[in-house]
Amino acid sequence: MKRRSFLKNGALASLSLPFVQNGFSMQAIAKQLFDVPKSAEDKVLILIRMNGGNDGLNMVFPRDQYAEMLVQRSNILVPESAILPLTLEVGLHPKMTGLQTLFSEGKLSVIQNVGYPEPNRSHFRSMDIWSTGALDINQTSGWLGRYFDGAYPNFPDAYPNVDFPDPFAISMGSEVSSTCQGLMGNFSHAVSDPFNNSNLLLTSVTNDGTYYGGQIEYISTLINQTNEYGQQITSAASAGNTLSNLYDPLNPIAVQLKYIAQMISGGLQTKVYIINVGGFDTHDAQVDQNDVKEGVHANLLKRISDAVRAFQHDLQLLGLEQRVAGITFSEFGRQIASNGSLGTDHGDAAPLLLFGACISSGIVGANPQIPNQVNNQAGVPMVIDFRDIYASILKDWFEVDLQVIQGLFEQNITYYDLLQGCTNSISENDAAQLQKPLVFPNPSLGQHQLKFFSNNEYLEIFLIDQNGKVLQKSFEGQLNAGPHHLTFEIQYLNAGRYHYLLKSATRQELVSFQKL
Amino acid sequence: MTPYTGPWTSAQAAHLLRRCTFGATFTDIQAAVQNGLNTTLSTLFTSSIIDQPLAFDPAEQIVAQGQTWINAVYPTDNAANQQTEGARMKSLGAWIAKNLNQESLSLNEKMLFFWQNHFGVTASGDARAMYQYLNLLRQHALGNVKQLVKDVSIDPCMLVFLNGSTNSVFSPNENYARELLELFTVGKGVQLAAGDYSTFTEQDVAAGAKIFTGYVVQGVRSATQTQVTSQYLPLLHDNTNKTLSYHFANQTISAGGATEYATYIDVIFNQADTASYICRKLYRYFVNAEITTWVEQNIISDMTQTFISSNFDIAPVLNELLSSAHFYDLSVRGAIIRSPFETLCAMLNTSSTSANFDLQSTYQIYLSMYGLADQMGQGYLAPPSVAGWTAYYQAPAFYRLWINSTYIKKRFDVVNILTSNNYNVNGNIFKIKVLDFLNGLSMPSSAPQVVDDLCVVLFPKDIPVADKLAIKAVLTGGLPDFEWTLQYNEYLNAPTNPIFYAPVELRMQAVLNIMFKMPQFHVC
Repeated sequence: MKRRSFLKNGALASLSLPFVQNGFSMQAIAKQLFDVPKSAEDKVLILIRMNGGNDGLNMVFPRDQYAEMLVQRSNILVPESAILPLTLEVGLHPKMTGLQTLFSEGKLSVIQNVGYPEPNRSHFRSMDIWSTGALDINQTSGWLGRYFDGAYPNFPDAYPNVDFPDPFAISMGSEVSSTCQGLMGNFSHAVSDPFNNSNLLLTSVTNDGTYYGGQIEYISTLINQTNEYGQQITSAASAGNTLSNLYDPLNPIAVQLKYIAQMISGGLQTKVYIINVGGFDTHDAQVDQNDVKEGVHANLLKRISDAVRAFQHDLQLLGLEQRVAGITFSEFGRQIASNGSLGTDHGDAAPLLLFGACISSGIVGANPQIPNQVNNQAGVPMVIDFRDIYASILKDWFEVDLQVIQGLFEQNITYYDLLQGCTNSISENDAAQLQKPLVFPNPSLGQHQLKFFSNNEYLEIFLIDQNGKVLQKSFEGQLNAGPHHLTFEIQYLNAGRYHYLLKSATRQELVSFQKL
Repeated sequence: MTPYTGPWTSAQAAHLLRRCTFGATFTDIQAAVQNGLNTTLSTLFTSSIIDQPLAFDPAEQIVAQGQTWINAVYPTDNAANQQTEGARMKSLGAWIAKNLNQESLSLNEKMLFFWQNHFGVTASGDARAMYQYLNLLRQHALGNVKQLVKDVSIDPCMLVFLNGSTNSVFSPNENYARELLELFTVGKGVQLAAGDYSTFTEQDVAAGAKIFTGYVVQGVRSATQTQVTSQYLPLLHDNTNKTLSYHFANQTISAGGATEYATYIDVIFNQADTASYICRKLYRYFVNAEITTWVEQNIISDMTQTFISSNFDIAPVLNELLSSAHFYDLSVRGAIIRSPFETLCAMLNTSSTSANFDLQSTYQIYLSMYGLADQMGQGYLAPPSVAGWTAYYQAPAFYRLWINSTYIKKRFDVVNILTSNNYNVNGNIFKIKVLDFLNGLSMPSSAPQVVDDLCVVLFPKDIPVADKLAIKAVLTGGLPDFEWTLQYNEYLNAPTNPIFYAPVELRMQAVLNIMFKMPQFHVC
């Protein structure tokens, strides 16, 4: 990785405060920073594209509005008792037990009602909007493509090279991803099997300045890149490892995620992996007529849930959890009311799922409001703009400079706290010391977890209201060094803002949360 | 549109044939030069006659091998029914590849695929229905587009594919109504407000869904019906009057029963956007992906006018385009990246290579051809979406989407298979007939002339001299040119003696192996 671009992205600036607090010498830190490559540049993002328009209301259920859901979609609605609870208000489809587990481990966020203003119900236009991250019809580069264009100039001609030997993005399967379309080329490299990369004949051509010249130059560059990237990918996959026994070899998403784990653990420096899952355009037979818990949509959700659970388990065993995060997206949700063919027609906003050990929020946003009367063609209204989610990922995960991020998007960005659960760690040990305590989920209602690192200390934890009054001592005891999760019941608290105070001989730290 | 009046040489003739067919031979090109542009064009507009697909797979349980299944019932038994469908789909896929490989010098196959891409229908359920649907497209391929859209709207395949068969007054389903406007006719414009796409609104989608209610599909994989049919059931039709949005001047489509949809399609074709939308797709298919302002004002607008004044007959539009100065402009020559089937057929059709073995072997080979194109990204019977293949619409990459690191490897694998002697089906070797190819050139005994002629057939533009010398060195094995002449003449004297033909064949296979892997071969 290039030192220069590491310094440029502001990671050091954002880290300076904890260094001082912990009394480290700056020189030591700087050395560790550069010796141990655990910076933003080693972060990996997984995009799972749910192609066709995912019915968000059959994936994340507003449990508090089951009666209204019954009015709108009685022929496809899964029984209330079968919904998997995440919180009192939010539940998952019965087939998504894997993601329910991840939620309980603090590794799954649900981002509610994500869309964009003036929704477009064309698959193609809407997917273009999601891929480009822009409403402007003239924007043809992808949101990641624009970021890569800025960070890695002269693509594709100048790559691969000594500093950047690996593809910037890998699209699993046989198609490149339009999210990675740059000005002059697509940053994603299509890989269907990382172990099978044949050598192709090298070519060189002259571009005569016409369309023809551009096309043959493109093919020539691609052939040469295919050779070079192919070797990198195969050697990384061969050097890599995978440890989880939860991958189902018959689940194509699991197979692809396993390949990805293999490539990451083998040292491939690719930043983005894209998986495409088709089949979400469920105009009819979305559910099984004999059992609404089953059917086309249920199977798709199960595959994603099982595969992500296995992948996360693998990353944990491989010690890679702090480097990888993933997010799902789809071109739109579907209409609130079902149609007569056990399906749903094109709608508007839908929830996104964000996963990884570094997530910093549980449920983001409130449940959609389901009306109790059927309004033809109504979709779920947008509350959170997906472009803000993309921007927040670039900020939290790739630590891109805020001015740069604003330059990539057309809207005035509102940032969400999504992936700040791990510090920009220097090494595992230092990370433990720098780790800020975290309440999850936040805001919360029934119970929540306090996640924090201990440095072998006798710790007291106090619950404090917003006036600074100590309400109770929630915990007291000797804790070993390392990460800790404590679960607290907070149902009895009035709605409002509260803090936990973590107090030991060596520290006093506050962490805030919102009680709904 | 300004007509082309420049020189008519093999460069222009080869360009026309490359864009209008799946691969022309050196002889075809020379004939086109002789015949001139107008005669060549009228040949291209002649329809060809196609055989019916035949049963060849042992899983077929109703008709005998070698007979067609297109009007045959299915077995009653569930498992046998499914197996028979599998056998018929294999036969259909093989038959498609065979038609592309054995096409006559006609626009037929090229336009058939244009419509297959335009409507994006994925085969679902019954091979007979898919055969009928392809026949419908073929019948109108060079004919009237308005009639085609009307017929497609109630075709059993389309009714199943976009849920028309479950669209009723009791449960309207918007799927077809939306894609008809967005993808098949007026196209989507800039979004003006929520639900308003400047050429239509959500109101039109909802109204359209009601207009199309009432059609059901009968006979899918039936043990008694020999055809899949669509039928109109008045009880399922929405009998209200449907009011369209301001984009259609708030017109009302009055309740009109079984033919109401045809009235609606007439209204849609009265929108100038419909004509220009289809003309832009034709331009992208035949000329270039990028539609510049100049092209929009000078080419698309003329095409649109011709299309409207011909009452939506497509032949006059194509004829005007393919004889225009713009079509032959050097700036657009070689601008298109060949689709997988175009690439595959360019390897075979340029040498008139086809499979002519026993029924089983021939169909198996064509089924493999179908599968190879599928693996390169073009499963003919299964477009990636209802919008067709992304290469024809996804800006800014367009045709570049046919080639990426996975697909290029597959393309090279196919080259290796077809330029070897290793593709053996039931003891029959299927390979490019390189000796026929060679013998059809202008002076096969001259190594430099062989390379020149091959470049005319395979590449859209001349290539640098250094590249030609490199290819020639492969042909001659690095020996002086006269050695090739000697070798070729020895073969001519004893054409069936492997001692003489095998080395010539090997050299030609090596040359084609190289040329098919050059970037210039993958554009047209």
